[in-house]
Amino acid sequence: MKITALMVLKCNPEGSDPVILANASDVNHFGYFQRSSVKEFIVFVGRTVAKRNPPGQRQSVQHEEYKVHSYNRNGLCALGFMDDHYPVRSAFSLLNQVLDEYLKNFGESWKTVQSDNAQPWPYLNEALAKFQDPAEADKLFKIQRELDETKIILHKTIDSVLERGEKLDSLVEKSSDLSAASQMFYKQAKKTNSCCTIL
Amino acid sequence: MDEPDPLELLNHLEGILESDPLIDEIGFIHPSQFVLLNEDVGTPSTSVDSVQTTNFRTLFWIRDHKLGISTKVLFPLYVAAKNAFVEAYKNYKLLQRDDKHASMCCSSSSLSLESELMKHSRALLILSCDFGTAWNSRKLVLSKKQSLSMFMNELIFSSVILSHSPKSEQAWSQRRWVIKMIAGNCSNLQEIMERESELVKKLAERSKMNYRAWYHRCWLVSYMSVEQVLQEFNKSREWAGLHVADNSCFHYRERLMLRLFEESEHSQDQDASFDPELHKLLKDEFNWVEKLIKRYVGREALWLHRRFLLTCWIRYFACGDHDRSLASNQRNIRAVDIDMLIDNELELFRSCTILPDSDFEDYQAQATFAATYMVWLKRVLCFIYFFNLAVSFELFTQLILYVLNQQLAGALAIDIQKVETSRVKSLLTNVCPEKSLLWNYLPELCM
Repeated sequence: MKITALMVLKCNPEGSDPVILANASDVNHFGYFQRSSVKEFIVFVGRTVAKRNPPGQRQSVQHEEYKVHSYNRNGLCALGFMDDHYPVRSAFSLLNQVLDEYLKNFGESWKTVQSDNAQPWPYLNEALAKFQDPAEADKLFKIQRELDETKIILHKTIDSVLERGEKLDSLVEKSSDLSAASQMFYKQAKKTNSCCTIL
Repeated sequence: MDEPDPLELLNHLEGILESDPLIDEIGFIHPSQFVLLNEDVGTPSTSVDSVQTTNFRTLFWIRDHKLGISTKVLFPLYVAAKNAFVEAYKNYKLLQRDDKHASMCCSSSSLSLESELMKHSRALLILSCDFGTAWNSRKLVLSKKQSLSMFMNELIFSSVILSHSPKSEQAWSQRRWVIKMIAGNCSNLQEIMERESELVKKLAERSKMNYRAWYHRCWLVSYMSVEQVLQEFNKSREWAGLHVADNSCFHYRERLMLRLFEESEHSQDQDASFDPELHKLLKDEFNWVEKLIKRYVGREALWLHRRFLLTCWIRYFACGDHDRSLASNQRNIRAVDIDMLIDNELELFRSCTILPDSDFEDYQAQATFAATYMVWLKRVLCFIYFFNLAVSFELFTQLILYVLNQQLAGALAIDIQKVETSRVKSLLTNVCPEKSLLWNYLPELCM
């Protein structure tokens, strides 16, 4: 059970890349030399998924043993990077809570933000630590009954989120969020199915 | 800059490994990462200040006992390490043969050859962790030396390898070999067990479904003291509860429980086979799993663990009336116990087969697991009633197999109609239609 990252993004209706409003991640369970790449990938995947999440929709995207849950509420989008075991219900309760909390703290100011925000938002880091145990998020669920109303769309692969003609490989190559090192990790992981050494 | 000389690279790597025995993590890194890594720490490294180090600063990175090797030099480095190792191994073997004739084993040349072999095999394994000959050559030297500190260093070395390839079978098996070698003559075996167990926990967090790591942890159980087994059982609970999709930790807990039951059987004489502490332990585990099943919908590992618990219960606590040695009140406790147990399972089954009108969780999977669990339970209960609980566990499993083959169970007239077969059947057909052919045979299978 692991939440690796929580993010809040601003989705632009005209289809340009979403802007990161807040980002909290915990990459300590990754190898020392992989951590910077993992962080880059979180940003990259977060942007990719949020960009393709229509307003008012909840979706879960499966990527190997991880799931990216996202909820776009009127252009403000919350994302959670969880592993496969984290109950979907708890994940979306948490995202709901994050969005409420964001609006309470920052109001409507997000609508005018144009560039990524690197300032940490303490609440998000606290939430990341607290909700590692889904039992905590379950408590939220008991309060938020309205959750059942919108359906969740489940994507079995990240490719199925992409539009026709788009390929993850080419997005990885083009992305400015990924360094050369991360691209190498991506290719290597693909080649070796992420379980073997480099030689 | 010219391509660096492979031999120099190897010397440099071996120098680093020699100078920092506390290296605990290794990674192969992209050349562009060096800039980033150096930025993070500020000033460049000044620990080794020979002329050649500056050339290697963009190829090797070491700080805080983390060693990074540039992917650019991996191939020449590997070739050099392999050649050096093969040469050293050949010489060592030759000398060993000569030594046998001359019956002198501690000559200075043999010492230096040994250290050469250890040095080169270490570099080689860091670059390619599944090089079996290199692992075996290390075993050869270690078993000849029989030095406790060398054995301990080998454990450290193996965990360095595991830091970047946590599924390396050879590295795990080297650990087991070392533990076997030192088990008889080391005073802090319990402490080592604890460290091994922690290592598995740490690596399991990093690499999911790591069978080799968990196999290792299960293997450790036979070397643990009973107190330690109990400790491990309590400690692993939290991890298991947070990794419900990973069967491995539940399997580990099963192994620990079996050991506790074995111990209790050995320590007690015939007329007092009832151990209240174990009884409580099993009961707690039962309730805990039930809580998890309800919280984490559709996780097969939890249902399988429950099957194990129930089997344990039947074997150790649900002995029947035939057991004359039991005091009558104990017999009553057990009869009440098993009735309550079955009622409880039926209740669980009912609550897990309600299909709510939402796609939030895997309720379909949950219902399938609950129903197949019920079918299984019914089979098990057939035997309990039929054989009046008088069978030993071995016989019990044999009989299950026998009856599964013979379809004998249909002939057993048993009063457990509480389990609603038809409901199970329609439910299974509903939630798992792709196996409808199988479900059609269900009444025959479990009546």
